[in-house]
Amino acid sequence: MSTPRNLWVNRLRTDFRAALGLLAVMACVPFFVSSPYSLGIVIVSMYFAMLAMGWNLLAGFTGQFSLAPAAFAMLGAYTTGLLDYHWQAPLAIGLPAAVLGTALVGWALGRLILRLRGPYLALTTLSFAEIARVVISNSHEFTRGDQGLNVPTLMQSRVGYYYLFLAVLALMLVGLYLLMRSKVGRFWLAIRDDSIGAETRGIDVVRYKTLAFGLSCAICGFAGALYGTFSQLVSPELGLLLQTGLVISMVVIGGIGTLTGPILGALLVYLSSEWLREIGGIQLIVFSALVIIFARFFRTGLWGLMTHWRPRPKSAADAAKESA
Amino acid sequence: MSLLMTKNLSKHFGGVSAVDDVSFAVEEGQILGLIGPNGSGKTTVLNMLSGFLQPDAGEVVFAEENVTRLTTVELARRGLLRMFQMTRVFERISTLDNMLVAGMAMGLTEKETGERAQVLIEELAMTHVQYLDAGQLSGGQRKLLEFGMCFIKPPRIALLDEPFAAVHPVMREAMANFIRRRHAMGQTFVLVSHDMPIVVELCQRSVCMNAGKVIAVGPTRSVLESTPVIEAYLGSSSHV
Repeated sequence: MSTPRNLWVNRLRTDFRAALGLLAVMACVPFFVSSPYSLGIVIVSMYFAMLAMGWNLLAGFTGQFSLAPAAFAMLGAYTTGLLDYHWQAPLAIGLPAAVLGTALVGWALGRLILRLRGPYLALTTLSFAEIARVVISNSHEFTRGDQGLNVPTLMQSRVGYYYLFLAVLALMLVGLYLLMRSKVGRFWLAIRDDSIGAETRGIDVVRYKTLAFGLSCAICGFAGALYGTFSQLVSPELGLLLQTGLVISMVVIGGIGTLTGPILGALLVYLSSEWLREIGGIQLIVFSALVIIFARFFRTGLWGLMTHWRPRPKSAADAAKESA
Repeated sequence: MSLLMTKNLSKHFGGVSAVDDVSFAVEEGQILGLIGPNGSGKTTVLNMLSGFLQPDAGEVVFAEENVTRLTTVELARRGLLRMFQMTRVFERISTLDNMLVAGMAMGLTEKETGERAQVLIEELAMTHVQYLDAGQLSGGQRKLLEFGMCFIKPPRIALLDEPFAAVHPVMREAMANFIRRRHAMGQTFVLVSHDMPIVVELCQRSVCMNAGKVIAVGPTRSVLESTPVIEAYLGSSSHV
């Protein structure tokens, strides 16, 4: 595409408007759906949308392929849970602590794996994720192990939770839009495309990669902590690799490196996962096949397909041809 | 005082001496040619000058400051920029966005960068591809884009590694013209190239390397006519 529409700010603006539109549609759902179970499913899909946004920031915008988003959600949830369980800390402390704690761990992990790429980066983050999960699972006295921890709830209203998750998702979206619109976002894109080239141009690759890692982990940590207050139970299952696989599938199917893709992917994958569960638990087979098809034929995901097929404005040359 | 100096620069990879005791100076406003057969150590010298490699011994002095241990980013911010033989552009964003990134990385505002980018895009005759993703550009266009990125905020010195390699003659001339215009404005360059006619035309002085050592330094034409340089390129019996 060789029109001003292909400029990053214009692509991003279109993407942002579509994502806002999607959230606006979601805001109407409680007017038509009253079943707490159905609302609960959409709330969980919004939790996955947050994780997908966090992972997309790292993999889609900065080019760092992590296998630990679910582990950071688990760490965020456990930070809130353990603060309440051992020290009766209120959620007003527990939730910010989850953000800060996971951001710090993410920053430290980011520094450690700075020079790693591809399979080495993926394997290191996978190892970290498994170590974190196994340590939590085996520390019975401190974490109650596989029994999990009870977490206090923020409110009893299911509709209230629905709008809380939606508001957090919207805030994350606006924050990411502003970041990607700024020079930080552009530097991330440059690092994703060619980190040596970015360094040559004077971009502090170490600093911006670490920032992306810390921020992505903080998003996942906060999502996990919020989910813990909704489900009122956190367990090591939150950090299973399968959950990370689901998050990656959502981003790939929705559209990696976009704002709308992760939200769209999370909604479609999780909602259809529930639907497929009812007709025989074949959801994993269907999603695996979908990921293969998208990875092979539609690398830009659903959002890429939608923008590709969008009608384009007529160029001056086309208009002249028609009038002739 | 020279703008850039290397003093007894050496670099070994295992048992191989890639650069051995290399010293030369680049004066302000000069185009210095760095020539030599393949494997002579030119790119290793550029890697050390631009902070991608740390020398085992010796010093790099830039604008009267010892910059030997500085990183690529610190050197770029001091105005020492490098272009690679294999272009390094950001493929999934547009040509104009590439320039915007380069300008903002050098501390310019978005507005200022946009204005400078438009001037450069016109100068480089890339208006028709300014909204195209850099990954869709031809090899020559990518090199021109790299020139644009490098000069969005003119560096104090530009290190050009084989800019004319595998490029269409029209593009080659466009690049040579760009270098001529900038040089007329006082820009300093170090040019690594195997394209001897253009080295002779553009470079006032040249350094010739062979097997990691400097074998000749001086005015380009006399360097090219010196016996060690002829032997390095054509073999030791060539002058007989």
